[in-house]
Amino acid sequence: MAGLVSSGASSRSPASRYRSALWLLTTRDLKVRYSTSALGYFWSILDPLVMSGIYWFVFTQVFTREVGEDPYIVFLLCGLLPWMWFTGAASDSTRAFISEAKLVRSTKIPRTIWVFRLIASKGVEFLASLPVLAAFAIGAGATLTVHALLWPLAFLLQAILLMGIGLIVAPLVVFFRDLERAVKLILRFLFYASPIVYASADLPEAFHFWAAFNPLSGIFSIYRAAFFPDQLDWFYVGVSAAMSIAFLLVGLLLFRRSIRAVLKEI
Amino acid sequence: MTAVPSPTGGPVISVVDAGIRFRRNKRGRRNFKDLFAGRARRARPGEFWALRNVSFDVRPGEAIGVVGRNGQGKSTLLKLVAEVMLPDEGSVGVRAGVAPLIEITGGFVNDLTVRDNVYLTAGLHGMSRAQIDSRFDEIIDFAEIADFVDTPYKHLSSGMKVRIAFSVISRLEEPIMLVDEVLAVGDRAFREKCYRRIEELLDGGRTLFFVSHSEKDLRRFCTRGLYLDKGALLLDGPIADVLDAYNADYPPKPPRAT
Repeated sequence: MAGLVSSGASSRSPASRYRSALWLLTTRDLKVRYSTSALGYFWSILDPLVMSGIYWFVFTQVFTREVGEDPYIVFLLCGLLPWMWFTGAASDSTRAFISEAKLVRSTKIPRTIWVFRLIASKGVEFLASLPVLAAFAIGAGATLTVHALLWPLAFLLQAILLMGIGLIVAPLVVFFRDLERAVKLILRFLFYASPIVYASADLPEAFHFWAAFNPLSGIFSIYRAAFFPDQLDWFYVGVSAAMSIAFLLVGLLLFRRSIRAVLKEI
Repeated sequence: MTAVPSPTGGPVISVVDAGIRFRRNKRGRRNFKDLFAGRARRARPGEFWALRNVSFDVRPGEAIGVVGRNGQGKSTLLKLVAEVMLPDEGSVGVRAGVAPLIEITGGFVNDLTVRDNVYLTAGLHGMSRAQIDSRFDEIIDFAEIADFVDTPYKHLSSGMKVRIAFSVISRLEEPIMLVDEVLAVGDRAFREKCYRRIEELLDGGRTLFFVSHSEKDLRRFCTRGLYLDKGALLLDGPIADVLDAYNADYPPKPPRAT
């Protein structure tokens, strides 16, 4: 025994403990995902690839496409890849507590980490899928514009939005299990209600204003502007930012109020 | 890295008027009000107080045994002290790091190797990479699974799983140790080894918070006892007095063949 009690964890600052716990759980999720499947990383890009392939075929070969921009495959991927992050993190957050019940019951770490780790690990997968976009952009001859510099802003907004949604959904599902299925349904609806296979500008005139209140409109318009500068719409971006922050505030409030009951329930 | 938790020698754990209530019927219908139950002082119908009006202080280095029948709030109290549950009224203040031997295998991931699991669990409980590096061999030796370091956790026997889990948590350099009846598992030799480890830690100045049904173990480790019954703290005193009171209320059955 090395003498008296030493202050193991207490010697580190709360912020550094928070970061290290978040990072540990994020890398754990990724490690588990990649160590258990032979194709590993490939799976995380296969889904958007297959989807883009299908949409590309349907909208350019079957129908005469009037939406989006050329090259359409790049236009699609600019929406689909961030969508995969969004839908993956939002649907995983329904199981944020349930899937880790044992760990939540025995480990005292700041509780928002149970939600944020999901957003972080899906976010890492999103970043890891960007080379695919680059490959298609080069292959299809899309030109990168200076607007690509705005990507960190889109990334940040999307992270804030997801944190808000996760903090709202995760505790609610513990009480209302039905919400797990409701979220899946809403996400499926949202896929078509968001500018992924089309651009917001392709919507009928009457919807232009309302489309802004889907926070993904503004975020995706930034991602797309990297290759298609016309897609950038600052009104959408502004509404997105306001809504993302509102989601986060509501989420933090709800999470704080409900965590006591959540810990009892799991 | 000296770590006297509070320089004045004040309590490391102070529980003041703590109370927590649960639903009687887990399957009951929920509504949004339940979710925001907040800290209302009265229990609604269908709820009961698992603990109420519990107050005590623990000084650094004390070894406390919690006594009571099943369902009287022992484990709940342990969880409040571990801060994995929050009280509905009153407060639970823990002023030093805690090494919780509660559901110890809970954080282990089946698909990762023992090595990854050690780094993960120790890290979640607040150890830095460098600290884990320096203790890694010690942890593996204690668990006696040197040959399985790179084996996926799921391939370990259940005994090995408990051994490695105990080994990791008991190596956390935290001033407070919480022990639930985890040690009921594992073979006798290893259990004895765990107990020796706990004694070693106690000698090193750790504070112990111990929940057990075993009178022998309680007498072995603890100096002070807390007797819980029906969610209330009936008695707080030397462990011998507490056990006597408990045995007077609930006379032990004739000795079994164990």
